[in-house]
Amino acid sequence: MIFSELYSAYYKAVAELIKIALERPVTRDDIMNAAKERAFDESFLYIGSALSDERWQVITKDGRTPIKNAPSMPATELEKRWLKAVMLDPRMKLFGVEMPELDNVEPLFTKEDFEIFDSYGDGDPYDDPMYAARFTRILRAIREKRPLDIHIINRKGNTLRVVMMPDHLEYSEKDDKFRLFGKASKYGDTVNLARIVSCRYFDGEFRGREHKRDAGRTVTFELYDRRKALERVLLHFAHLEKETERVGEGVYRVTLRYDESDETEMLIRLLSFGPMIKVTEPDSFVELVKERLKKQMECIDG
Amino acid sequence: MPYTELIKNFNRTREYMREFFVFGFRSREEVGKKSARSYDDERRRVESWLGEYMQFRRMPDGKSVFLSIDSRASRHNPLFKAWKAKSFTDGDITLHFILLDILSSPEIKLTLNEITERIDGYLSAFEEPRTFDASTVRKKLSEYADEGIIIAEKRGRSMTYRRAEDVGEIDPAALAFFSETAPCGVIGSYLIDRKDKDGSVFTFKHHCITFAMDTEIVCGLFLAMREKRFVTIEVSGKRGERFTERDVVPLKILRGVQTGRQYLMAYVSRIKKIIAFRTDGIVSVEPGEICESFDEHRAAFASMKRHLWGASTRSRSGDELDRVEFTVRYEAWEKHIHQRLEREKRCGTVERIDEHHSRFSADVYDASELVPWIRTFICRITELHISDKLLEARFLEDIKAMYRLYGLGGDKE
Repeated sequence: MIFSELYSAYYKAVAELIKIALERPVTRDDIMNAAKERAFDESFLYIGSALSDERWQVITKDGRTPIKNAPSMPATELEKRWLKAVMLDPRMKLFGVEMPELDNVEPLFTKEDFEIFDSYGDGDPYDDPMYAARFTRILRAIREKRPLDIHIINRKGNTLRVVMMPDHLEYSEKDDKFRLFGKASKYGDTVNLARIVSCRYFDGEFRGREHKRDAGRTVTFELYDRRKALERVLLHFAHLEKETERVGEGVYRVTLRYDESDETEMLIRLLSFGPMIKVTEPDSFVELVKERLKKQMECIDG
Repeated sequence: MPYTELIKNFNRTREYMREFFVFGFRSREEVGKKSARSYDDERRRVESWLGEYMQFRRMPDGKSVFLSIDSRASRHNPLFKAWKAKSFTDGDITLHFILLDILSSPEIKLTLNEITERIDGYLSAFEEPRTFDASTVRKKLSEYADEGIIIAEKRGRSMTYRRAEDVGEIDPAALAFFSETAPCGVIGSYLIDRKDKDGSVFTFKHHCITFAMDTEIVCGLFLAMREKRFVTIEVSGKRGERFTERDVVPLKILRGVQTGRQYLMAYVSRIKKIIAFRTDGIVSVEPGEICESFDEHRAAFASMKRHLWGASTRSRSGDELDRVEFTVRYEAWEKHIHQRLEREKRCGTVERIDEHHSRFSADVYDASELVPWIRTFICRITELHISDKLLEARFLEDIKAMYRLYGLGGDKE
């Protein structure tokens, strides 16, 4: 069963407390911390009372435990089947993971059972051993906090050098691409992994600027709920911070927050909803929409 | 029943989570129409799990609650938390830790009686020790054997129990990545929870975290597909009515990472056709008998796939396939537009007509599925032909409506 108490946050919190009780008596603060870290906002109340009332007979009232070993649970059949399924994913090669113990395990799904139908066709080359080697080096550099000396080929075909303190990798399911984010000496603070031609550790003195994500832009539009537009639009933009308000019968006002660098993408995504959406704020965004519509008028008089 | 943070069944929570996360503008009066108490309990639970993302707004018709999550900023899907809130009894948790402590390594093999006796030893540490009879312990062991964490083996006439072998160490970065990108990713999140360190070095863009809410359904469908079984599915219709579809052959899960929609593609015996069901509309999945013709249905779907833009297998025009063609123009410095067509097309062909024009054409089951994509080329569409003439006319009328919306030609709407 995928929805099972075996994976419960409460079980995790109690396992944590048993570990402590194996060393010393558990205190009220320990319960509070374990509940906060492993479970939810109000969990302390429930876990605390269940233990102090000795309803869960694994820790005594005085904070001791009859359990002899630090709690552990082997992977369930479902977990093994999921692991086997992801082991078959071509992107797993990037991590160099091998699990021969799963040889006889039936995968939970295969590429015959699941497909993303709308990701773009020019995803990163996961089968390219050079790409995989660079990916591995980047992962290691992120973990070890070591700067990298990277050469990339830009859109114009020119080779550029970037020295970067890598911070994290970003993956887009739509683009099926990885990008590296970090502090860089120049040329911005992001690098598309597929554009990298060489990547070495940098041994010199590193000086770079902090990466700051500009997620501060907002766009507001009116949404007219025709042809199921309400559900379509809200699901389409569900991954962004948003606020929706009903302003009339079948009319909604939606505000989305997005990154400055994604403005063109936001523009075409909003255009894709046609007359079901009217951008109202900011004026600069309204002008972008108008500009495209004016150009369209010149193409064919709809 | 007094309120608790934990839940027995995920379905009701799934509806509320979707309401707060995807919609989030409806008031308590509206959402909690059937039961205000249920609404209050569910809202409190969601707040307990995801309080940092929860926001409120006062409106003339009451207060609305919504979850506002920037999925690009979170390294782990926050909605997974709901999957870790399954309720259990006092006996469940007590037995869980004691049994796994008694069977602390795969080398320890014990009979039911031996285990039951040892349990009593653990419980004697408490002022009022619980008692577990042999049948309760056997039931729990058999439950754990089904989950694969305990191995039950016959030894002579009696059964012995031992802990199953665990898997080896897994790169935490790999777990973090696949828990966010693979189907049923919450299972990866369960594995991450067992680790002391968070190994995530990933963030995710265009990340549709809502799919997490359909995990139980999708998992049930995968299990049936792997065994080539029929399923019976209970589906919530367009107006909220529920119906049951029997003898359904699940063939594939299709996920739209742009639309945020996920579909079960399935052969439905009743109508003898392959159609799509939204996974967020499926309420339950019951496995049935083995389907002898599973491979044939799957092969039929594979050949249909060449003409699918999204998941719709039914043309609105009534024709077998709709023909769609459109041409875009671009300037000399906009060569990437041609590449965009190549990169973004899911079927069909793209041809470069001249230095400044490219044409896309395809034969698809449902041309209306392409309309949103074609609109992303607004400002450069020079020609459009759709064999479904009603759809073509609607597309052109929509463009005119957009002009009017922004006060460009014609009357304002």
